[in-house]
Amino acid sequence: MNGTVASITLRQLLSRRRVILLLLLAGVLILVAFVLRISLDDVYLENYAAQVLSLLGVATLMPLVALLFGTGAIGSELEDGTAVFLLAKPISRATIGLTKLVVAAGCSVVLTAVPMLAAGLIAAGHLDPGLAIAFAAASAVGAVIYTALFLALSLVTSRALVIGLGYVLIWEGVLAGLFAGTRTFSVREHTLAIADALTDAPPDVFAAQLDLTTALVVGGVVLVGATLLAIRRLVTIEIAGEAA
Amino acid sequence: MTAPIELAGASRWYGNVVAVNDISFTVESGITGLLGPNGAGKSTILHMIAGFLAPSDGTVTIAGRPSRGDPEIYRSIGLVPERESVHPFLTGLQFVEANARMQGMDRTTAAEAARRAIGLVELEAAQDRAIGTYSKGMRQRAKVAAALVHDPPILLLDEPFNGMDPRQRLHMMDLLRRMAADGRTILFSSHILEEVERLAERVLVIVAGRLAASGDFREIRRLMTDRPHTFTVRSSDDRGLAAALLGTPTITGVGLDDGLLTVRTSDFGAFTRHIGGVARRAGISLYEVLPTDESLESVFSYLVRR
Repeated sequence: MNGTVASITLRQLLSRRRVILLLLLAGVLILVAFVLRISLDDVYLENYAAQVLSLLGVATLMPLVALLFGTGAIGSELEDGTAVFLLAKPISRATIGLTKLVVAAGCSVVLTAVPMLAAGLIAAGHLDPGLAIAFAAASAVGAVIYTALFLALSLVTSRALVIGLGYVLIWEGVLAGLFAGTRTFSVREHTLAIADALTDAPPDVFAAQLDLTTALVVGGVVLVGATLLAIRRLVTIEIAGEAA
Repeated sequence: MTAPIELAGASRWYGNVVAVNDISFTVESGITGLLGPNGAGKSTILHMIAGFLAPSDGTVTIAGRPSRGDPEIYRSIGLVPERESVHPFLTGLQFVEANARMQGMDRTTAAEAARRAIGLVELEAAQDRAIGTYSKGMRQRAKVAAALVHDPPILLLDEPFNGMDPRQRLHMMDLLRRMAADGRTILFSSHILEEVERLAERVLVIVAGRLAASGDFREIRRLMTDRPHTFTVRSSDDRGLAAALLGTPTITGVGLDDGLLTVRTSDFGAFTRHIGGVARRAGISLYEVLPTDESLESVFSYLVRR
């Protein structure tokens, strides 16, 4: 970790536009949770709360937050040319990569887990605060994996935002619903499996489709693999001046 | 002793496009200008020296060590990139200080070094403003301050005078001269002949990815001026002047098309010295003598063909 790199990255990531956009997203989740709470009977509430946390939280807020922070950590700097100042320093590329990842993942965790916890507590906290806590904790883990994945992606392609969105919408959103095999490689399913393991809610309220061991092993491999790939790319990256 | 910067047979290509073609040179302490038209490969060369591009062939070394793949070389290099993007949310002082901190200085040393560097480029008045509000010239000076904040023995500058007004330009040249006088190695690129002429002790002329000429500036200036050249001339008697000029040895051809007198000469310098005398002896007044082909590109392509 390098303190200066971390503080510049943080300021870069927390640009006003990005923060407002993400707070709006988080606001939608919390608003929906609030509407559920005032309009539904307690009998259905826990079930619907779990649905909202899965679909709006884990399947939407979490990947979007991680996508914006993950691709913004280094990718945008490479694009606008400011990365030169960072890379022309006697700091190992591993340190730079890890620092960027830790800061971006931290931002993702805060902007994912806190709204999840709030939404969960608002919707069904009076019945079972455990559900909110389980989802918040699991989404923190999911946000870290996603951020590492998208950060590595931004070092492999300049279209990381589009490809990342495609992965979330098409692979995780459509294919994982149709073919069970693709779920193994879905960060969303990893997160839901962890949430399921952390909550004692009955299966009729919420049940994940992937078992915990697979989720932890594959999720861990993705995290480590993406991190190593990102560092590798930072070592071999080339920066040209004039368009050649 | 190993040279601060050395390229040996260095080439760089992108797919089928050759950006830099088998270039060898060494850069010693003092100011060296990398002169060439836009797109000639100057930036590619500077980026290879700075370790941001791997040479496709040959070697690029900084004090004898390969510049690529070793972040430690950045202790001895200060780099001023051409792109003017700088984190817009930082103030000038914060930006320079952050660069010092990333060089490994502690907080106190970095703050001191940043203040000194800001002073060197005379940016004190704007140091507490966000860089986003800076003019192009101020941004350029902030980048220079950031590059020399750790007092590196080698300074690489890519088109450093772009966007500077004449006064800032003079000041920057003066600063670079002082830095060179302290024994530093300074390599800067430019596509403007006058900048290189005024600042560089040694010149490397790059054309179409090749090293077209190198050496003392005066030699290169002579090569550039003593070359075949075409002028258009307007005078009180174009036809008479044409006849008179044909008798002059350095004139290789005279044309009179649409009332426009064009003169081809084998020697730019001799022609400009002689035409006045020729016209006076023939009793003709000259209104205008214009070189038709004064673009840098044509000068450079002549150097390459030579």
